[in-house]
Amino acid sequence: MVEAFAVASGKGGTGKTTATLALGMALAEEHDVTIVDADTGMANLLFHAGLADVETTLHDLLIEEREASVDAAVYERHGLSVVPCGTSLTDFEAAEPGRLRDVVASLGADTDILLLDSPAALGSKTAVLPIVLADRVITVLSPTIPALSDGLKVQEYASSYGTDAAGVLFNKVRDDARMDTVTDRTERYFDGPVIGAVPECSAAHRARAAGEPLLSYAPESPAATAFVDAAAELTIEPRDSAAVADRFRSAVVPDRL
Amino acid sequence: MKLPRGRLLRSRVVSAAGTALSTVLDGALTGYVVFEPQDALLLDVDGRGVVTFREGVPMLVYHTGTDRGGVDGLADLAVPGPYKIDVFSLPAGKIEELHETESLRVRPGVPAERVAGDSGLADRTRSRAREHGLMPDEDALADEADAVASFLDDEERIEAIKRQARAEAERQASEWGLEDELVGDDGRE
Repeated sequence: MVEAFAVASGKGGTGKTTATLALGMALAEEHDVTIVDADTGMANLLFHAGLADVETTLHDLLIEEREASVDAAVYERHGLSVVPCGTSLTDFEAAEPGRLRDVVASLGADTDILLLDSPAALGSKTAVLPIVLADRVITVLSPTIPALSDGLKVQEYASSYGTDAAGVLFNKVRDDARMDTVTDRTERYFDGPVIGAVPECSAAHRARAAGEPLLSYAPESPAATAFVDAAAELTIEPRDSAAVADRFRSAVVPDRL
Repeated sequence: MKLPRGRLLRSRVVSAAGTALSTVLDGALTGYVVFEPQDALLLDVDGRGVVTFREGVPMLVYHTGTDRGGVDGLADLAVPGPYKIDVFSLPAGKIEELHETESLRVRPGVPAERVAGDSGLADRTRSRAREHGLMPDEDALADEADAVASFLDDEERIEAIKRQARAEAERQASEWGLEDELVGDDGRE
């Protein structure tokens, strides 16, 4: 049984990768979790997870000639299975993002929860693919007008492709006192609930610089505990793995994106 | 507060402090104003009030008689007019050094509210402060939160964003050959 989430934002700088890792680690307390850096053009999960020097990444799985097996790109770190993506521009250009559906289908057979760290944009096929493939989308937003506006777009794209909303996660929150109002109003326009409001926190920057996930670098920090609380708000709706794999494999995604 | 000597722009008597604040805002003064109540002897108030400005926005307040600054200094300054006011200009660099003295800081709109009782002037001062990035962090945050809240109140605008995004998603799906993945309003495929 598996459920695939796209962790998306529509805008860069909202702390999406930090959120993906933190939610993944929190969910891994109870579930078997796999996280995938599906932001194949601007990969950075590898730096957050201390995997900067690994040999095989998602790029190798997306380039047919490399003949890499899916298992070779899966690293067991921090209680999670992590599939990082490389940062080579040449590899990005050679990659066939359509192969992502097969990769996701294989990974889905072996895990309870798949988190796809998605590109912070909606302007290309590559960028929308994780949203197309996922069961539900978690929208990570900073509480600003441009981020909310882009978050609304993510939601509309997702629902256009039949992907449900799992919820909104506010990150980098600086004015906690006003968040109740912002949360109430946000819930009016977004389909899922607001699952949390993570405070802006220097620990997140230090963790990133140290190449360590926030939850292992500073587990007691206000941001880390808020991520754990947010993960607890997610109700997992597992689906039959074989059916999910079939859906991924049959998704009509052109080979060349 | 050690005040570098500025260039005296004008010296005159005004009936109310608000007049001086308003003139200085209009003239976008970077410098300082010395307020000397004319009834000082009568009121048993000794000393002068000094307010520094950037682009006409009040930044620091200090009262020489009570040696108090910030909002407290402002209270000492808030005595009935008339005042003799001396307006001095200072280079922005010099005034910046002074503005590092956090204990004397006042929020941009506060002098207009407390001394002049003029909320219109306070609003004008705050919007000037915003224009020049002179709002203190906590005010800027509150501003941003207010802006976000009022954005989320604008149901029509939000529905328009959603409608536009949906149309864009559908148009791009057909451009990208993903139209078979699209669903209607009734759920997946």
